[in-house]
Amino acid sequence: MQLSEAVGPSGQEESIRLQLEDLWRPFTTTMRADAMGNLIAMQQGSGPEPRPAVMAAAHLDEIGLIVTQIEEGFLHIAPIGGTDRRVLLGLEVLVHGREDIPGLIGTRPPHVLSAEERQKTVPWEKLFVDVGLPAEKVNQLVHVGDPISIRQPLLTLENGRVAGKAFDNRASVVALTLALEELAQREHAWDFYAVATVQEEVGLKGAITSAYGINPQLAVALDVTFGKQEDDSKIGVFELDKGPTIGLGPNFHPQLFQRIEATAKELEIPYHLDPTPGASGTDAWGIQVAREGIPTSLLSIPVRYMHQPVETLARRDVERTGRLLATFVAGLESSYRPGWEDEVDETAARSDQ
Amino acid sequence: MNLGLLTQLTQAFGPSGYEDKVRALIQEHVAPWADELRTDPLGNLIAYHRGNGKGQKIVLAAHMDEIGVMVSHVDKEGYLRFTRIGGVYPLHCIGSRVRFADGTHGVIYLEHREDTSPSPKLTQLYIDVGATNKDDVPVSVGAPAVFVRPLVQQGERLISKALDDRIGCYILIELLQQVQDSPHDLYFLFSTQEEVGLRGARTAAFSINPDMAIAVDVTITGDTPKALPMAVTLGDGPAIKVQDSGMIAHPKVRQLLVDAARKAKVPYQLEVLRGGTTDAAAMQLTRAGIPSGALSIPCRYIHSPSEMVDSEDVANAIKLLAAALA
Ligand SMILES: [Zn+2]
Repeated sequence: MQLSEAVGPSGQEESIRLQLEDLWRPFTTTMRADAMGNLIAMQQGSGPEPRPAVMAAAHLDEIGLIVTQIEEGFLHIAPIGGTDRRVLLGLEVLVHGREDIPGLIGTRPPHVLSAEERQKTVPWEKLFVDVGLPAEKVNQLVHVGDPISIRQPLLTLENGRVAGKAFDNRASVVALTLALEELAQREHAWDFYAVATVQEEVGLKGAITSAYGINPQLAVALDVTFGKQEDDSKIGVFELDKGPTIGLGPNFHPQLFQRIEATAKELEIPYHLDPTPGASGTDAWGIQVAREGIPTSLLSIPVRYMHQPVETLARRDVERTGRLLATFVAGLESSYRPGWEDEVDETAARSDQ
Repeated sequence: MNLGLLTQLTQAFGPSGYEDKVRALIQEHVAPWADELRTDPLGNLIAYHRGNGKGQKIVLAAHMDEIGVMVSHVDKEGYLRFTRIGGVYPLHCIGSRVRFADGTHGVIYLEHREDTSPSPKLTQLYIDVGATNKDDVPVSVGAPAVFVRPLVQQGERLISKALDDRIGCYILIELLQQVQDSPHDLYFLFSTQEEVGLRGARTAAFSINPDMAIAVDVTITGDTPKALPMAVTLGDGPAIKVQDSGMIAHPKVRQLLVDAARKAKVPYQLEVLRGGTTDAAAMQLTRAGIPSGALSIPCRYIHSPSEMVDSEDVANAIKLLAAALA
């Protein structure tokens, strides 16, 4: 779970990718990074050639900040992805300039604000990062466009809960790693591609290109979803520690849903149903329409306080997700291909030509 | 007009992602006329007509899916909350009936009946399946449903749910029978998931890799009280797409359709649609780019449960396309 502390805002995933390569190497047959920076690890299956491939994708990138302007040593900032501006004040950050420099997010003190300003969240243009250095030094070390990450160590809470800054989506990267580990010990007929995708938070970019590159016969995306918290409605939120959610809707192939649900039942892993009537907002949405179309499914881990530096989850949900994925993959028979209920019988077409 | 076929098509259950029943029905009707038939990974049905080797490779696309709703929550009293599949307007929902895949019917109504706000939010609406408690509800979270509204013919007008785009499916089925001598390699694409982002047509176009693509779908009209300006009228002929909010039709495709209308001596209109698009927009950007256009059937009240088209426009669309592909 320490992966949540690693740094990887969208478009800047190289350092965390290198860490992950070390973690994954013992469990993979081949591994490569593609042109976009996706990490693609393959674990060869035991079925006869041509062997079908299943791709499991978890995005590696996290939301973050970027330097937009430097003024007298203070850094103006903008979000990378959906960073929640409301919770930035007073946070510690790391500015990834020529070297990593600690800093903090400041704004004007309450005393000097108008009554009206005090009621509002601080707009982006009034937030800045202070690294404590004199202006000339800042100009040497930091440039416009440098990424900034939130500095938030992993916090272990009671009851198997943990909090961290980037469980979206490092929680899934961990689940994917667990699946890789498990599948390294188990027989599986299909080639298994574990993919740590880049730039999900800015438009599912890495998933789109990696799915095109691998061209698998089916895919499972792993991501996080909304954990139930104190002030929530009952709809579209899921209790922690009651297992992952399985997506239902046009983004997901019904047969894969059925297989995954059956696998969860067989393993006695609890799960939630996640009805998704259109865009799932996950890598699954990008993968499904790669090339000729790829039957896709989605497992999500419930996380509270999403896109805030204290994303909170239940450890067991991560383990369950990894186990569910591994068993699903191990259960794919060589000859299986996802199809449709009323699959066309080739003889249905007239045969006079 | 084969009213029986159109009745079957419009009444079939097929929200985006759940097109199985529509596909099975269409399959049955195109099988005798297609040289090959296949269902692809996204559930698209592709019926192929083999040309004489001298023609072009052309896709004709109509989407099988319709808008609908999906259950998001079942409460203790047995009322269902729902989200929308595709562009469902809350206002159209109130008092509507929906039908689930298993045949269960439900009534959609609004909390606080005294609330007269003109645009209720989806979260204020619920589905009542007549249950008395949660255990009594025959459908579960994630179950999709479609609106219930029969097909009615009144003079030349046709009124039904899901004419968007079962009318396009109808046209392609009829067209396939009429182009048996076409020199072109024709791919009749009955696509999935148009209403949630032109998903099926995109992947099918990738696998077919045609020289040209034409979508057959509905478009809005400007002929209702206080309608936004739109030079398309019900009954004045099929509309040849010039542009919409997702695509500028390829001039070659547009001209092909205009020439065909003249050749077939059918009336036509030119369409500039400001909001909305079709499968053609997705096909256009496939691979290295595919010249694409669309033929639209003027339709009133699109995405309401009572869409209205004119049967002469439908008949003329078939003649026009047959002439274009001859
Ligand atoms: Zn349509």
